[in-house]
Amino acid sequence: MIETIFFEEEIYEHPTTERIRRALPRAGWVPIDRYQELFNKRHQNFKLQKKNPALILAKKHDNFVLPVPSGFGMDSHKSFYFSHMYNCLYDCKYCFLQGMYSSANFVLFVNYEDFFTSISEKIDKYNGKTLTFFSGYDCDSLAFDKLSGFADEALNFFSDFPNTELELRTKSIAISSLLQRRALSNCIVAFSLSPAEIAKSLDSKAPSISRRISAIKQLAGAGWKIGLRFDPLIYTSDWKELYSALFADIMNGLDPERIHSISYGPLRFPKKMYKKAASLHTEHKLFAFPMEETNGVVSYGTKIETQMHDFLKSELNNYISENKIFQCTI
Amino acid sequence: MSEFTDVENNTELQFKFCWVTALRAEATPLIDAFNMKIVENKSLFPIYANEEKGHALVISGIGSIKSAAAATFLKNHLKINDHSAWINFGIAGFFKGPIGDIYQANKVVSKESGAAFFPGLRLSKLIPAAILFTVSKPENGYKEKVLYDMEAAGFCEMAPSFSCNELTYVIKIVSDTPSASSSLITKHLVRELIEKQLSKISDILAEIEILVEEEKKRLSIPNEVIEFEKRFKFTETNKYKFREIYRKWKIAFPSKRLDLSEFLNSQPKEIILRLEKEVLLNAEDWNAL
Repeated sequence: MIETIFFEEEIYEHPTTERIRRALPRAGWVPIDRYQELFNKRHQNFKLQKKNPALILAKKHDNFVLPVPSGFGMDSHKSFYFSHMYNCLYDCKYCFLQGMYSSANFVLFVNYEDFFTSISEKIDKYNGKTLTFFSGYDCDSLAFDKLSGFADEALNFFSDFPNTELELRTKSIAISSLLQRRALSNCIVAFSLSPAEIAKSLDSKAPSISRRISAIKQLAGAGWKIGLRFDPLIYTSDWKELYSALFADIMNGLDPERIHSISYGPLRFPKKMYKKAASLHTEHKLFAFPMEETNGVVSYGTKIETQMHDFLKSELNNYISENKIFQCTI
Repeated sequence: MSEFTDVENNTELQFKFCWVTALRAEATPLIDAFNMKIVENKSLFPIYANEEKGHALVISGIGSIKSAAAATFLKNHLKINDHSAWINFGIAGFFKGPIGDIYQANKVVSKESGAAFFPGLRLSKLIPAAILFTVSKPENGYKEKVLYDMEAAGFCEMAPSFSCNELTYVIKIVSDTPSASSSLITKHLVRELIEKQLSKISDILAEIEILVEEEKKRLSIPNEVIEFEKRFKFTETNKYKFREIYRKWKIAFPSKRLDLSEFLNSQPKEIILRLEKEVLLNAEDWNAL
């Protein structure tokens, strides 16, 4: 539960702020000028802060929508990403956010309307072309949704642009706002998944894999398009069995037609992020594997990555056509 | 100097809590409660400590700069570890009563520079939070709904760099309000107000101690590593590589001991290579969980 909310005074009267004020009546509210004065402070300890993160309500002023880096995944058309939030409720050991930010506090940019204006401008600019907008790059798209109400507003907005895709990427099972409305044909709800044993060890505070699979099936049953994201792929001596079993569990009773796409990507860190993450989890086996470093990127190395790529491609082909399967290489 | 005669050379002192108070009257109840003894009384900043209980305390005098300077003095004088908690503790004015209430400052603002600090993890289940203004002259107007003191901003400028922001705390007891003038504050009153909160302070310390222990564990360098680094001349680069591969090796082989006698004729690079080889071999049957 959020106990302390730091808010930029400028957005105190914003409807999203008001919504959160109603939802968390007992939280302590502390005014700030700009979120950076708190979020970017030196000498913060991400791991300790993660024990009791505060919520920071802020206004985003620029860079609302950015082009996705090449190799992000689905490459058939122009894609962008946006982050209405920094950081995540969950505490996944491999998460790049712990290497990217010095703070574990959650920043929620309450001015959703400015994101939507910026998205509209991109749609106008690329008039006639199919665009995809990814949410959930610097956060989990749905994990905070009960409080933020973001998904509902985003879906209302995207319902006016049926040729433009929205991907909500998540590990959350907070899907009630989606189930309460008709499925949007241009929205993909993409779940990040790992074999249950691996997720239990690495995806701290996140819903179990069985609950995520159950959420997938509920959404698919309600007509939503589903994305399956196996990223990062985690290596163990029995990884083939674990991933095979995971695919079987997901596909059992799931209509393949409801699957929009599947993507997978190897575990990779920029060197600096790897060092920071390893220093936070000094005793975790994830950071004890003899990783390789090439051109500033720490990974399992080509041999293991190729084995995992080949296996996943062929295994997933048993369930779904090849043109829906993508490899993410960043 | 008292029984801490070896302070200058001792790098193994393990203080969990480092207190910085402005006044002796604020320090005395803590000194008594945690059975601290004088360590340094010849300098501007008297230091008290009880290593067994893990407490060290410095009396800074009044003012923001003195608070920062005293904290730095304590850090250097007792060679305080990177995982210790730093607590600026004392009395403060508040816009409302009653006096004697205890607060954690969740935002500290220097009224002089405008700088803002956000010390500590919030301990909301134990202690209410309030914003604190550090002023350069005593505040008797209590115009804002905040705590007023004269030290915390200076302390917050410095202390997070000694360990981290999440182990830096500002805890204040209300001593004066619009209806209880600061002119009524006496040593006796300060002592009384603090003593009434000692039980609450113990609860707070128990919570902070969990964080201290976690950081201590994370930052600790195993004795085996220290032994090897004493025995062999590692370059800085090789020292980093050795510590990193040792960490992985120890996770892979938790029950194994790195035996110095096996490496007596080895070069540092050979030690690193051997550990790398063992970790690599082990990876063939890797269990990530």
